[in-house]
Amino acid sequence: MSEMYIHSASAFTGEANADINFLKEEIRRYTQENFRRVNRFILLSLLGALQCVHRQPLEAATAVYLTTEDGNLGETADVLDEIYTSRSLPKPFGFINTMSNTAAFYLARNLGIRGRNITVSSQHLSFERGLDLLKADFAGGAERSALIGGVDESSLSRMNREEQAGRGWRMVDGSGWFYVKPEKEGACGAFTEIMSFRDGPSCMRWIRERERSPVEVVSFGALIGDDEATALRKTLRPSAEFDYLRDYGYSGSAAACGVGLFVRLFQAKTLLHINRDQRGNYAVIELERY
Amino acid sequence: MKRRAFVTGKAMICSLGDSLEGIVDAVRHKRIKLAHIPFNMVRLPYTRPYYLINRNERDNLDNRSAEYFYAILFSAVSRALLDAGLNRAEIKDMHLFFGSTSMDVPVFEGNHRRTSATVSGMFLQSSFGYGKIAGAIVERFGIGGNCYSFATACTSSANALLYAAAMISERYIERAMVVGYDLFNNLGFYGFEALKSIAASEYRPFDRTRDGLILGEACGTVVLEGRRRKAGDFMHLGGANLCDTYSVTSNDEEGSAAAETMNRALKQAGIGPEDICAVKAHATGTENNDRTECAAMRATFGRHIPPVTCVKPFIGHTVGACGVNEMILFTESVKAGFVPSTPGFRDVDENLNLTPLTENMEAGEGIFMLNYFGFGGNCTTLILSNKDNKG
Repeated sequence: MSEMYIHSASAFTGEANADINFLKEEIRRYTQENFRRVNRFILLSLLGALQCVHRQPLEAATAVYLTTEDGNLGETADVLDEIYTSRSLPKPFGFINTMSNTAAFYLARNLGIRGRNITVSSQHLSFERGLDLLKADFAGGAERSALIGGVDESSLSRMNREEQAGRGWRMVDGSGWFYVKPEKEGACGAFTEIMSFRDGPSCMRWIRERERSPVEVVSFGALIGDDEATALRKTLRPSAEFDYLRDYGYSGSAAACGVGLFVRLFQAKTLLHINRDQRGNYAVIELERY
Repeated sequence: MKRRAFVTGKAMICSLGDSLEGIVDAVRHKRIKLAHIPFNMVRLPYTRPYYLINRNERDNLDNRSAEYFYAILFSAVSRALLDAGLNRAEIKDMHLFFGSTSMDVPVFEGNHRRTSATVSGMFLQSSFGYGKIAGAIVERFGIGGNCYSFATACTSSANALLYAAAMISERYIERAMVVGYDLFNNLGFYGFEALKSIAASEYRPFDRTRDGLILGEACGTVVLEGRRRKAGDFMHLGGANLCDTYSVTSNDEEGSAAAETMNRALKQAGIGPEDICAVKAHATGTENNDRTECAAMRATFGRHIPPVTCVKPFIGHTVGACGVNEMILFTESVKAGFVPSTPGFRDVDENLNLTPLTENMEAGEGIFMLNYFGFGGNCTTLILSNKDNKG
């Protein structure tokens, strides 16, 4: 796998429907810029990413990969209300902000960085798919420095009680980010594997056959059921499990936040994050902390 | 070892119809179908032009529903699979790259016509995130690979093409399906009117009297593979994406980010500007786009800008879908022996000093540049070739 060293990481999880001014106040801790005509999704993206690169020397040529399950659908609903209910043309910036990549634009502009700017989604595996794109860009030499994050609003979450299978997660706003480079010097960790599997048995086979050092910490995505988690624990025999969904709540971008929280909070060296989508496709992120 | 990605299958549906032969014939003879749509929801006393899919009664805007949305989508996908001649195992092996601006908003709007529920509440209940449409495609066709849904405004499906080709090139995947789909929706139509971006009657990119863009709807699908199946299959030589942070709605005055994107794409393709036979411009017909795109081409090519074509006057600005659909329209025209003209262009804008092709230009083998720009400063350039000796 191409080298993907983590130079900093962040994870913001906020209470559902928190006052938007609270987000603006938080952002002011990291930048002088006053963001007008922006929505919750954009503010969440800015907050998580600015936390990630705070006091971190950033390459001018840095790409942005914003992953999300729902993007700006909240703003889209508001604009639809303007048209269908208020019977008026939408406000120009409201309409422009229905395009989710505006969040990645404001981030690149605030940080003064120049590079690729991609917003991508994939049901339940958005963050993992964003890492695929980053991996391809590093391998192909298109980029040598990148910010990658997952951002979603709590109000758009469709992880309802039935899907949670009684696990009782809080719904939160989530914004988890990583500053990634192919150079090891100064890194605090690395994505050592990003694997995709067409089904559970293939994933389990890879896990059984992997020859790396034992996994210290394991974490599971939202659609990994209890029985499946039990089988994986039995195979991996980790020292600990990080149940970030129980401890920090669920958002569409919970995987990015969970992995970011591991980098920031844990002393352990290795994490294996196992996730799946509703089709039964699996994705594994293997991460090493230094 | 790296390899090229080839376009081995394609299909599209747009205002010119759903047969590639018919679409190319309409382009060759400059046959354009333009509808005029009123702003009934907000009671404005005028209409704006729009390139509507209008093959029969089922295409009527008032008759559309979620079923219609998926019928269009699945039709384009199945015909592209057929065109590529893939077997069941090869289809299962594919990965899906989807690009759109509106995503499932047209589905919601279709359903909403039948209810009186609160709009935003109903939308949030009925929308299943950006990945939903790609999920529906893989489920319907038994595609087993990963799904990537790109949401980068008007460059969405161009970026889907860029990454599908890159992953094939890096040998991460064997084959990909790339879909660009945007269907008519009030959100986009009323939104662009709110920006005062829609032309009054005729599409005239780069023209002195240009007065904006005209939206269109289309669904285009291509199959990309690591080997050429038929002589004349186009291959992806290179590409680039870059963010212009000048403004969320417009490019910088000098077109420097757009020019840098073109230069990066040329470099990645391993060629120089002199190797480009023709450019498919993004050419939205808005004042800023055409001015900055011209500046960017001048910065990239100097005084020797290759022949430039603008294909939006044929099918409209299909926003996030334009990456795939304009690519199909352009490459199929070249296969048929010509680079399309630019209908609607009459008067040179002295500030631009650029005359796009006003008549079809004979074309054979060559290397071509396709440019795409979008809100959020998104710039994407693709370099394609149908030369046999560059595999």
